[in-house]
Amino acid sequence: MATAPSDYVFQDEFTADSTYETGEAVSLWKDAWRRLTSNYFALFGLAVIVLLLLVAIVSQFWTPYPTWKQGIGPTYGGPSAAHPFGLDQVGRDILSRLMGGAAIALAVGLGTALLSSIIGIALGLLAGFYRGWVDTVISLLINVWYGIPDLLVVMLFVVIINSRELKWIIVAISITAWLNMARLVRGQTLALREREFVEAARSIGTRDVGLLTRHILPNALGPIIVQATYLIPAAILFEAFLSFLGLGAPPPEPSWGAMCAEGYKSLQLAAHVTLVPAFALAITLIALNAFGDGLRDALDPRMRR
Amino acid sequence: MTLEASPEVESRVVDKQLALVSVEDVTKHFPIGAGLLGGGSAVRAVDGVSFEVRAGETLGLVGESGCGKSTLGRVIAQLHPATSGKVIFQGQDLVPMRGEKLRRMRQELQMIFQDPYASLNPRMTVGEIIGEPLKNFGLARGKERSNRVHEVMRTCGLNPNFLNRYPHEFSGGQRQRIGIARALVLNPTFIVADEPISALDVSIQAQIVNLMEDLQNRFKLTYLFIAHDLSVVRHLSDRVAVMYLGKIMEIADSHSIYENPLHPYTKALLSSIPIPDPDLEAKRQPILLQGEIPSPVNPPSGCRFHTRCPIAQFPICSEQVPPLESKVDGHLAACHFAGQL
Repeated sequence: MATAPSDYVFQDEFTADSTYETGEAVSLWKDAWRRLTSNYFALFGLAVIVLLLLVAIVSQFWTPYPTWKQGIGPTYGGPSAAHPFGLDQVGRDILSRLMGGAAIALAVGLGTALLSSIIGIALGLLAGFYRGWVDTVISLLINVWYGIPDLLVVMLFVVIINSRELKWIIVAISITAWLNMARLVRGQTLALREREFVEAARSIGTRDVGLLTRHILPNALGPIIVQATYLIPAAILFEAFLSFLGLGAPPPEPSWGAMCAEGYKSLQLAAHVTLVPAFALAITLIALNAFGDGLRDALDPRMRR
Repeated sequence: MTLEASPEVESRVVDKQLALVSVEDVTKHFPIGAGLLGGGSAVRAVDGVSFEVRAGETLGLVGESGCGKSTLGRVIAQLHPATSGKVIFQGQDLVPMRGEKLRRMRQELQMIFQDPYASLNPRMTVGEIIGEPLKNFGLARGKERSNRVHEVMRTCGLNPNFLNRYPHEFSGGQRQRIGIARALVLNPTFIVADEPISALDVSIQAQIVNLMEDLQNRFKLTYLFIAHDLSVVRHLSDRVAVMYLGKIMEIADSHSIYENPLHPYTKALLSSIPIPDPDLEAKRQPILLQGEIPSPVNPPSGCRFHTRCPIAQFPICSEQVPPLESKVDGHLAACHFAGQL
């Protein structure tokens, strides 16, 4: 047959096609952002998170009083102009400690989410992609790990490491928190590896590393981000719990959990010492969960209208 | 340097007597329900298939849904490992190849997929998709790579200005061009096209078929063209193979398959094609096959087609597997009563 000049073919087709295709040219991320910003509960969550981040950053350079300094006012002093949230059992300024606590909470939340996501994603990708004995070993590890109480693991870890520095607390929580992420990524990988574009990528000679990083991981990113946002509040709560038990960051670190623990003995005498950090913790958790829910709805393609 | 002028294309042989790919007794079984103690059965998707694809030709592979034609295509393209048999390409058996050696072979052997929506990664731009094969084999980088991608896009009828767009911004026909460009960019010798037009609008189908013919002539390509109906491959194929339930029923030149089908199954398939002429169409008498296509888990004994064959004679057809053998010069059919319908 006669060879067609290469130009004529595209002229024909794409002018006809591009007209009705451009209307749909909204990427998944833009679409998700549009849905997220129309969800007021999620926006409230986002606003609180931004505020918290600002406070945490400011606290690293300035707080009204040093977070550790005792006796700057009357012990159990109530709220006043100089000390809007009052003073605690050794006369420290609660506002200053609350600000410092925001930094600790966010460091633990973000650090744990990051570290446990890396562990979970790596193991989930390997199990889902290679299947066979790799999957058997990793799935067995996940199931056994599920059976062991998180608190026990963290306590043992803290004892063995013999340090309660914040970075070790983050590591300790992370080694208990990766399980759900690993399960999620494994499931996503099992489904994605059978998709035709992954098969196509194999046919053009893409190596396993490329299949995982260019084809499978980017397509699983939506659920991964949602899962990671849920990890943040869970880790903050867990750290508060550890501090409450006296296993978290050592005094005089102003962890919210530790502040609650120190205050609850005098709950009837000076409720504000406990209530202020507890309220801060609660509103942070609500905000993060609200944002996580909003993100899930925004990224779920079934919600696409 | 343009693609056509490259020494690889210059030295490529077009000799329609010479086998480029030889498929020898290939089977592909998917085990099902294998318990702890083993003993599960298997879907016998491809069950002992032998044929060859000759240098520079288009071999059409036709069959109903579920007959194993797509599986066979994937086995030949080494996307599924064969259960047994050989796929000899350029003198080497691909079946035992693994890892890097197999990956290197893929440069010569490409695939075009059926569904242009599912076969392109939605998270990559068109430029990344078409450039990826070059990246995988370290063939061109930077400016050189983008020049190659531009050139291939133009060759396949795509506007290179759309390099940074995502697949969902294109229509089905354009996406299939992207898929073709991706297969072509490595300058392969052999392309397995798995129903490349069946997901497209009829008006676009002809464009894609013309593009593929154009590319075949310019780059001396060899195609295995899989389709589910005979009318599509008629225009395009030098030879046609008809598959039923994991086996080849008939292989012959396009002309003799359409003018003188020997196998009753081929005859039934041909008689079901509507004729675009009202007078002839009114006189057309389709051979209606009885029943459903049997399960490939437990295929019929003897000739697999005997349960639906209008001319089957018992007990021979249900007991003896008819060999795929030459009936009239070079026209192969697997039927005890070839040409009697």
